[in-house]
Amino acid sequence: MIIRSRKLLIFLSGFFLLPIDAEYIGEFSIEDRYFLNDSKFGQSSNHSSFTFSPEIFLDLQEEGIFHFKAKLRNDQEDKERNLIDIQEFYFIDLGDAREIKYGISKEFWGVTETGHRVDIINQTDSSESFDGEDKLGQPMIKISMEKDWGLLDVYALLGFRERTYAGQDGRLRFPLVVDTDNPKYESTAKNKRTDFAIRWSHYFDNFEVALSHFSGTSREPRFIPSQKKVLGLIPYYETIDQTGIEALYLIGSLALKLEAISRSGQEDRFSAVTVGFEYTKIGIADSRLDLGWLFEINHDDRIYSSPSVLGTRLTFNDNYDSQILSGISYNEKSAEFGLFVEASRRLGSCCMISIESVYFDDSDEENGEKKLLESFKDDDFLRVEFTYYFGE
Amino acid sequence: MNTLNNFFTKRLIIVAVTVIGLILSGSISANKGLEIAKLSDKNNEGFGDSSSSMTMELVSKKGDVVTRKLRFKRLEVPEDGDKSISVFESPQDVRGVAILSYAHKSKADDQWLYLPALKRVKRIASKNKSGPFLGSEFTFEDFSFAEVEKYDYTYIKEELIQGKEFFVIERIPLDPYSGYTKQVVWIDKENYTTHKIHHFDRKSFHLKTQTFSDYKQYLGFFWQPHRVEMKNHQNGKGSILKFDEVSFNNGLTDSDFSQNSLKRSR
Repeated sequence: MIIRSRKLLIFLSGFFLLPIDAEYIGEFSIEDRYFLNDSKFGQSSNHSSFTFSPEIFLDLQEEGIFHFKAKLRNDQEDKERNLIDIQEFYFIDLGDAREIKYGISKEFWGVTETGHRVDIINQTDSSESFDGEDKLGQPMIKISMEKDWGLLDVYALLGFRERTYAGQDGRLRFPLVVDTDNPKYESTAKNKRTDFAIRWSHYFDNFEVALSHFSGTSREPRFIPSQKKVLGLIPYYETIDQTGIEALYLIGSLALKLEAISRSGQEDRFSAVTVGFEYTKIGIADSRLDLGWLFEINHDDRIYSSPSVLGTRLTFNDNYDSQILSGISYNEKSAEFGLFVEASRRLGSCCMISIESVYFDDSDEENGEKKLLESFKDDDFLRVEFTYYFGE
Repeated sequence: MNTLNNFFTKRLIIVAVTVIGLILSGSISANKGLEIAKLSDKNNEGFGDSSSSMTMELVSKKGDVVTRKLRFKRLEVPEDGDKSISVFESPQDVRGVAILSYAHKSKADDQWLYLPALKRVKRIASKNKSGPFLGSEFTFEDFSFAEVEKYDYTYIKEELIQGKEFFVIERIPLDPYSGYTKQVVWIDKENYTTHKIHHFDRKSFHLKTQTFSDYKQYLGFFWQPHRVEMKNHQNGKGSILKFDEVSFNNGLTDSDFSQNSLKRSR
């Protein structure tokens, strides 16, 4: 306890001593999403939002690191997409081959690109985008040791963040609105439960491997139909145990990847797997352009069929870091496909522009199986985002 | 018959001597090339660790300049290649992006890329080393350190440039993934620092010229260039790397070049 309060003191004094040598930076972005088809539930076709992310970073050299980053988002149409989140607010206490992180932070686990099976420390901000890569800050104490036998991270996760969902007025939502105001928990501690996680990772030449275990509140809820006046979905967060494995093997420019989990606590124990490869061809046809290929197959015991994804990344290697990402996902059993293209480049030295287009299969072809993308089929959209970076 | 035999024997001896002579002179020039390379590499030893701030200027054909800033740390590893970490500071959209690299003498280097927006450490194929570094005329290969073992050498000549004497040696990368088929290196006869490199591409075309200047001596023996310029003769573009602050023997250890240290870059 004495040690803890001493750390807290360092943490707080670090915060007040900030002006010395800290970096004050941040970004401001404006986004507009234009939906090509009329909505099912009378939502608007044009959704604009802005995001402000101030950041403070202080490198105290041998003493440690202090980092603060907030994210504020305002959406003109969907109030459920408004967000005030502390993404980072931590102090790292540096020791010899070990470090302790106190505070709010984000931690990524995994190797694959299209399905993030293993990643579980942070809650997903799914109203930001549906790729599942935007996360909310998680309060934690993390002890990390890096030795000859690899990297071992042990986490105590203090409290729980609910997943965000598009609201009544939002697009890319289910026919029934998720009632984020009335979540249910299996644990009597509700969102105050302390969860635990551990991950070991190591590499042997061209082989990277990681094993992990998480015991706590599921980041992914199941849904219960709401008994309230308006028909809706109540997110139900159960207490789960999840064991994961990650592996990556490099053969020249080819990376073979695997991520798999086994989870218990949400009805029957189940497994989910993403497996695939990534290959990058440097200097296509003797030019400066690089072309990367990605192919991944997904499987989840709970869903009768999961998509396979083929993606490409064209990197221009110019002064503006121009690149074009594109991909096609195909689900054999439901005979559905989706397409996306995203192009981005820097403007001057301050700014960045990105244009994205997403298309969901809306064929009415009946094959006797239920459609998985049914609720998104009218939500094809074009998104333009302009980001301004400020600070020194 | 005898005269004929004698004639053939004579010829045979002449041919044999010529061949042996050629082989010997070849191996002498190879040895001399290797010796010079070793002496030049000795210049790169014993610094312990280094830390520097760099500015990279990308100059277009028209003369427009785009600037990038990065921090660079390097740790000498006895009996193996060096460990290094590069952290980008600008442009701001790549601030905190970092590359951790473990160079090896006898096998492919290990490299990891850190993406701060996703908080993700990604193992990358070091075989991609012939690709451009941050849109510049430098490739990842130009940034890794030329371990002596990674090349075959041939001594070419001595050359006098602006009153200074240089050894000119040719080296052929042994790595099949190298973007170059040949490099001609000018080494200062006085202190064995590298002055200039001509890079030849896969079609044996003189693609780029790299020049090293503003050398300063540190620790009483270590020569550090403060300006490295790469000129691409094919597209007319150039990249200039300027070292703003350089310090040695900062007491860096393995834990400053670990996965966790990579994540601490932001």
